[in-house]
Amino acid sequence: MEIKSSENASFQKVYEQVFPVLMRVAYHVTYNMDVSEDIVQEAFIRFYEKNIDFKSLDEAKYWLIRVTKNLAINVVKRKSREKAMVDKIKKIPKTPVQNGEDVLLDSETKEMVRVAVEKLPEKLKSVLILKEYADLNYKQIGLVLKISESNVKVRIHRARKLMSSMIDRGEIHVSR
Amino acid sequence: MCLDDQILNTYLDDELVEPWKTQVIEHLKYCSACSTRYEQLKAVHTMVSTSRLKDEQVDASKDKIYAYLENRYLKKEKKIKFLHRDFRVKTSAVIGVAAAFVLMFVGALTLNSPTLNEENVIIPQVVDSQGQGAMQVRATENLAASQVLSNLSLEEILSYLDQKGYEVDLKLKSVTVLGDDTGK
Ligand SMILES: [Zn+2]
Repeated sequence: MEIKSSENASFQKVYEQVFPVLMRVAYHVTYNMDVSEDIVQEAFIRFYEKNIDFKSLDEAKYWLIRVTKNLAINVVKRKSREKAMVDKIKKIPKTPVQNGEDVLLDSETKEMVRVAVEKLPEKLKSVLILKEYADLNYKQIGLVLKISESNVKVRIHRARKLMSSMIDRGEIHVSR
Repeated sequence: MCLDDQILNTYLDDELVEPWKTQVIEHLKYCSACSTRYEQLKAVHTMVSTSRLKDEQVDASKDKIYAYLENRYLKKEKKIKFLHRDFRVKTSAVIGVAAAFVLMFVGALTLNSPTLNEENVIIPQVVDSQGQGAMQVRATENLAASQVLSNLSLEEILSYLDQKGYEVDLKLKSVTVLGDDTGK
């Protein structure tokens, strides 16, 4: 099905299907809900304004994931330069709304994963996030990042290896 | 011969094709060393994957942003411009001179310039060189925008837009100390 990004019907369909993936990609790169919302919003604005014809919904999806990922990575880069000042004025991060007893254990694991993901080099981070949070297969990840499938395979392996060594060594310190 | 972690990861992601897939399955049946490593890889994958942003949170943002986009874009016939501004201002003694990243959403911003391309996203930078509140604008992506905007301060743009009856939504994204990016 052809997608015209400036047509309301196409836009709505794409938004409905792709939003969760974009939100997760933005969130697991930045780990900040407010920033992620801005990023995803901007990705959809660009999508709408660029008025692009996509051959399929998947192609539109890959385009949006790519834009979102790049915006998010740029925010993180800028943020790390500006960290000291941003910390002073940024809003208190919204903590996940959760119900009941699994909150504590759950949030400890999440915190550990977050710290490890944030420490990954950019190339490995992108691949891992697209695999674990955007639920894409190797081929799709290759299309989004414009790298070969075998490259994806290698990066997944390296990313997991680093993740597990960081988690095992317990060099992770809880900072939030 | 034992299996390396990369093959195990590929198998874990269900990306391994035959005949290797069957070989891996067979090997894992009798080799406890590989089984153990496979379980470890799987545990890491599960831990990472289940730490994902929850559906409830995604849905809350989804509705909020959709409402915004619908209101600003989908409902209108006229194309809406938006403008990103990265401007620097003297704030308080506590923060000092800072660079603030500001998102400014503007209805159909053209600033009377026919050279401004409707399709372009304008990302100008406003620099308060003296820290006196007199701001200069420079666009990072768009020369035409730069030329138009370079003569205007943020206040001037805002009052211009206000005069014309445009809706402007200014949003402070972040503030940082000045210093390292003057050559940008
Ligand atoms: Zn073995």
